[in-house]
Amino acid sequence: MNPEVTAGAVPAVAMRSITKRFPGVLANDSVDFEAREGEVHALLGENGAGKSTLASILTGLYRPDAGDIEIYGRRVEFHSPRDAMAAGVSMVHQHFRLAASLTVADNIVLGHQAAPWLRASPRTIESQVTDLARRYRMPVNPTARIWQLSVGEQQRVEILKSLYRGARILILDEPTSLLTPQEADDLFETLRRMTAEGRTIVFVSHKLEELMAVSDRVTVLRGGRVVGTVETKSTTPPQLARMMVGREVVFAQSKEAHRMEGGEVVLELRGISADGDLGIKAVNDVSLAIKAGEIVGIAGVSGNGQRELAEAISGARRRSAGDVIVDGRSLRNGDPEDAIARGIAHVPEDRLGTGVSPSLSVADNLILKSHRRAPIATRGILRRQRIAANAKQLMSRFSVSAPGPDTPTRLLSGGNVQKVVLARELSSRPRAIVAANPTRGLDVGATESVRELLIKAAAGGVGILLISEDLDEVLALADRIAVIYEGRIAGVVPRDEADVQRIGLMMAGAPA
Amino acid sequence: MRIQRRLTTPRWLVVAVPVASLIAAFAAAAIVLLIAGKDPGATYARLFDRAFIAPGAITSTLITATPLLFTGLAAAAAFRMRLWNIGGEGQLYLGAVGASGAGLFLRDQPPAVIIAGMVGGGLAAGAAWSSIPGVLKAYFKTNEIITSLMLNYVAGLLLTYLIFDSRSFWRELGTFSARAFPQGKQLPDAATWPTFDLGVAVIPFGFLLGLIAALGLWLFYRSTSFGFQARVLGDSPSAARYAGIKTRRVVVAMMALSGALAGVGGASEIGDFRHVLDPRGLQQAGFGYAGIVVAALARYNPFAVAVVAFLLGGLANAGYSLQGPDFPAGLVGVLQGMILFFALGGELLLRYRVSFRARLAAAPS
Amino acid sequence: MNVNDSIVVVLAASAIFYGTPLVFAAMGELLAERSGVLNLGVEGMMLTGAVTAFWAVQHLSGPDWLVLLLATMIGGLAALAVSVIHAVLVVGLRANQIVSGLALTIFAGATGLSSYVGNVARLGGQPAHHEYTAINVLGLADVPVLGPILFHQNALVYASWALVLVALAYLHRTRTGLHVRAVGESPQTADVMGIDVARYRYAHTLAGGLLAGVGGAYFSLAITPNWIDGMTSGAGWIAIALVIFAFWRPELTLAGAYLFGLFSSLGFVLQARQVHLPPEVFASLPYLMTVVVLVAVSTGWARQRLGAPAALGTPYVREER
Repeated sequence: MNPEVTAGAVPAVAMRSITKRFPGVLANDSVDFEAREGEVHALLGENGAGKSTLASILTGLYRPDAGDIEIYGRRVEFHSPRDAMAAGVSMVHQHFRLAASLTVADNIVLGHQAAPWLRASPRTIESQVTDLARRYRMPVNPTARIWQLSVGEQQRVEILKSLYRGARILILDEPTSLLTPQEADDLFETLRRMTAEGRTIVFVSHKLEELMAVSDRVTVLRGGRVVGTVETKSTTPPQLARMMVGREVVFAQSKEAHRMEGGEVVLELRGISADGDLGIKAVNDVSLAIKAGEIVGIAGVSGNGQRELAEAISGARRRSAGDVIVDGRSLRNGDPEDAIARGIAHVPEDRLGTGVSPSLSVADNLILKSHRRAPIATRGILRRQRIAANAKQLMSRFSVSAPGPDTPTRLLSGGNVQKVVLARELSSRPRAIVAANPTRGLDVGATESVRELLIKAAAGGVGILLISEDLDEVLALADRIAVIYEGRIAGVVPRDEADVQRIGLMMAGAPA
Repeated sequence: MRIQRRLTTPRWLVVAVPVASLIAAFAAAAIVLLIAGKDPGATYARLFDRAFIAPGAITSTLITATPLLFTGLAAAAAFRMRLWNIGGEGQLYLGAVGASGAGLFLRDQPPAVIIAGMVGGGLAAGAAWSSIPGVLKAYFKTNEIITSLMLNYVAGLLLTYLIFDSRSFWRELGTFSARAFPQGKQLPDAATWPTFDLGVAVIPFGFLLGLIAALGLWLFYRSTSFGFQARVLGDSPSAARYAGIKTRRVVVAMMALSGALAGVGGASEIGDFRHVLDPRGLQQAGFGYAGIVVAALARYNPFAVAVVAFLLGGLANAGYSLQGPDFPAGLVGVLQGMILFFALGGELLLRYRVSFRARLAAAPS
Repeated sequence: MNVNDSIVVVLAASAIFYGTPLVFAAMGELLAERSGVLNLGVEGMMLTGAVTAFWAVQHLSGPDWLVLLLATMIGGLAALAVSVIHAVLVVGLRANQIVSGLALTIFAGATGLSSYVGNVARLGGQPAHHEYTAINVLGLADVPVLGPILFHQNALVYASWALVLVALAYLHRTRTGLHVRAVGESPQTADVMGIDVARYRYAHTLAGGLLAGVGGAYFSLAITPNWIDGMTSGAGWIAIALVIFAFWRPELTLAGAYLFGLFSSLGFVLQARQVHLPPEVFASLPYLMTVVVLVAVSTGWARQRLGAPAALGTPYVREER
C-alpha cells in the first residue's frame, strides 16, 4: 500500500488483489490500486495492459474473479453499473455510451432511478440539464440528438451524465484521444473544477505528456500487473515510459526528411467532394497531390470527413464532384475494383469489419483483393494450393502471428489483423496507399512495426496518404501535414514548419 | 451461469448437438401429445414405421424428401450468406408452373427433351420469381424477408388463378367433369421422370438431381471466385465493397440461384410425383417453409441438407399418409418447429462455453 | 342515396374494420423491435391467438361481453406463451433472431400448433357462439359520413385506438419508455446506465406476443367468426412490414394499418358493387402493395436513419472481448 496515505484519511477507491481472466488472457493479475479523495489519479499502460479491464471492474461492468473493492472505506460488491453508480462511481468510456437517436437531455436522465415514472415535461428536464451544464461550463444543447453533436460535445454529455447522478468518483477512459489540443485543455480545466469540489478522478491514458499535465499520481500497469505508483511531481516521462514498456523506448520513430524532391505525382485529388452516410456533405472540395516516396499526413479531429475522404479515394464511396487521378488518368467513380487495379492500396480505419472479412480465414483474407485473377483463380475456379502458398509466404514475410492460415481472422489480435491488411495491401505493389488511423488501438510494439512498414514502403517509392487522428503520429511520419476540418482542407504545412499550437487551432476550425 | 465465446468448437459437438436436439424435440412434443390425450410412444412408433420401415416407406419418403432437399438447398445457399430468402414456397410453386408448362408444351418430343425442358422450365421460373426480391434488395435495399414472403402468397394465388379462375394453358378444359370441377391438365407419360430401383428402395430421378445440386453448391462456395465473393459479402458487406466486389450483382445472382434450386424442387414434384399442376396439393405440402427447417438444422451444409431432408421427408411422408383423427394436421409442423427450437438453443453450446457456478453469497462483514 | 352507403364511406369504415388486427399485431411488434428484438413469428402467434380465442368462445358461457373479453384475453395469453420460446431463445440463448422467428411461425402457424389445436378440438366448420359486433356509440352511427366510420365499430376497434395512445405516451412520457428506446438503440449504453437489458427485452417480446394474439383473436371473433386453418393468411407478415413503413412510430402504424385494411376490403366492397375481376387480383393486392410500399420507404430520403432501433436484431452480450 502507498505509505503516503495520510493517517486517518480513507482512500476514495481501494482495490485489492483484483484478478480477472478472459478466455486465453489474464487481464488483471492481483492488481492493487488506490485513489485519494480530490486527486486526479492516472492509470497508465499500453493497450492490453489491463487498464480498461480494471476500470470496468471498478464500474461494475465486469465482475472480478478475485479481489475486493472499497469505496470510502466501505467494502462493496458491484453486480452491475447501477450498483457502482449508487456508490457514486461513474465512468466516461472511450467509446461513448450514448444512444445516438435520443436527445442530449434523454441521454443524461437515462436510467436515473430517482426520476418519477411519469416523466416531467421535456422542457423541465431540458432546463435542469442547461443549469447543470452552465455550472460546469460545459455548454450543450439539451434538445439536440446525439448524432448531431461533435465528439467533444458528446464527451461533455457523458461527463454531465455522471454529474447529474452525483458521481463522486469519475473514471475517464482515454478521454483526450478524440479531442483537439485546445479541447483537451478545456477538459483539464473542467477536471480541476471537479477535484476542487472534492471529486476523485481516475484518468486512464497512455499519453505521457497529458498525464504529466493533469495528474497528481500515476499508477502504471503492464501485462495485467501493477508496476508501481508514483507522485507525478517526482517522476519524468522517460521514467514512466520505462515502467510502462519494461525497456528503454525510442520516442516516436519518425521518417527521415524526405529526399525525393521532384518525385513524380502518383496520386492527385482534384476538388473531390462526397456525402456522408446521412446524405450530408462530408468531404468538400479537397485537392492534394502526393508524390512518389512522400508521406502526406491528414490531421484532424475524428468525424471531420476523414473516413469519407479515404472511401471516396478508394472507390468505396461515390464522389459527388472531383477526380482522383492516378498516373495521369482519372479513377472510375465509386468503383473500388478500378482503384485496386490501378494500384491504390487502402488500409481502412475499421480494420476488423472492413479491412478484413472477420469470419474468413487469414489465408482467405490475404486474397481478398486478388481472388478474381491468376494466379489465385483461373477461369473462376480458386486454386487452393496457390492460396495456401500465398498465405504461408505473406505470413512469414510480415511476421503475422496466428495459430495457422485457416484461423478465422477475428480471433487474431489487433496488431496481427493490421499486419494481415498491410501484408495484402503492400504485396500488391501499389502506387499509392491511403492509410486511415493505421495504428489506432495497437500496442507499442505493433505500432512500431506498422509505422516501419509504411516508412519502408515510402522509401520504396510509394506515395502515402496518412489520415490519422493521432497528431503525434502525423507529426512523426508525414513530410507535409494537411489539416481537415468539416470536410475541407484548412491548410497544408511542411513538417519542418509544423507547430502543434497552430495545427491545433486549424483542427478546431480557427482560420490558419 | 457464465457464458463465454468459444475460440474453437470441438468436432464431436457439431454432430452431438443436432442429434440431441432431435431427441429433445421429440420428448417435448410428447408433452403436447399427452396434453391432447394421445399416447406418444404409439404415435412415434407409427410415425417411424410409416416413414422408414413399412414396405415401400423408404420409396415414398424419398419422393417427399426430394422437394425438401431442393428447398433446403435453396435456403442454405441464401442463408449461408445471410440473404434471407424465405420465398422458397412461392419459388417452388413457380417451378411447378414452369415445369408443367414445359412438359405440356413439349408433349410430342422424346422423353429426354421433355425432362430437360421441365428441369429448365422449373429452374428458370423459380429464378425469375426470386429475382424480384433480389433486385429490390440490391437496388432499393428493400428487406428481402418481407418481399420474398409476400410473393409466396401471390404465387399461391397465381396457382389458384391458373386452375380455378381462368382458361389457362395448364387447366384441363377437355372434359365435362373437368369444367365443373376444375383441375390441371395431365402431363404425357413421357414426362414422367425415371426411377432407379435398388431393391430396398426406388430412387426418384429428382433425388439424384438434388444430390448433384448439393455437391455443386458445396463446390460453388468452396472453390469458385464467385462463391468466395458471396462468402465475403455474407460475412461483412463493408469488406466486400472494400474488396471491389460488385455487391448488387452478387445479391441478385445468389437470390436467383436460390430460387432456381427451389424451382427445380417444384419441377421434381411434378415430374416425380404429381404429373399435373395441383394448387391444393402443392400448397398443403408446405415444402418451401419446411426447407427453412432443413437448412437451419443442417447448419447450411449442403451434404447435411441431404441427410436432414431425408429424415424430415420421412416425418412429412408419415404425417401426411397417417393424417386423420389420430394424426391431425399440424402435428408435423409442431415437431419440425420443436426440432428447430432445440437446434437453435443447441447452437449456444457450439458457439459459447457455458459453465454453471453458484453465486457466492456476500460474506457478512 | 344515403351518403353513408356511398363507396367512400363504406370503404373508409371497412378499412378501419379490416385494419384493426394489424394495429394490434404491428403495435406488439413495434414494442418488441423498439427493445431490439425482431420477432418474425407474428403470423404464428396470431394464428395461436385466433384458434385459442375461438376455442374459448365455443366453450365458455355467459354474457357476450364477458365471454368475448375472456376469449380475447385467452387468445392473447396463448400467443404470449408461444412468444416466450422466442424470447428465451434470442434473449437468453442469443440464437439468431431471424431463424428463431421463422421457427416460431412454422411451429405455431398454419401447418403447426394452431392447426393441431384446431383439428384436435374439431373447431373447423362451427359457427361462433359469440362474436364482436359493431356498437352504436352514443347513437351516433347514423351521423352522415363520420357515423359509420367512427361511431359504428366493434369494441376492439375502440380498444386499438386506446392502445395507440397508450403506446405513444408510454414510449415518450414514461421512464420505462425511455429505457426501452435506449435498450433498442444502444444496449451497451442502457447497461452502463443500470438498465437491465435482458429484462426489458423479455418484457417487450412477451407484450408483442400478447398483442399479436389479440390481433389473431380479431380474425376468429370479428372478421369471420369461425375457425379455418391459416385464417390470418399473411396478416402477421404484413404487420411486420407495417412497423417498417411506420418508421417504428405508433401513430403512423395506425395510419398504415388502415391503408392495408383498405386493400384487404377493396375486393369485397368492389365485388359487391359488381366490379368483375378475378378474385385473385383483389386477394393479392395487400401482398403486392406491401412490396410496393416497402420499396418506396426503403429508397431515397426515407432510408436515412428514420426510426429503426440501431440494435434491432442483434443479441447483447456484456462480458465478451
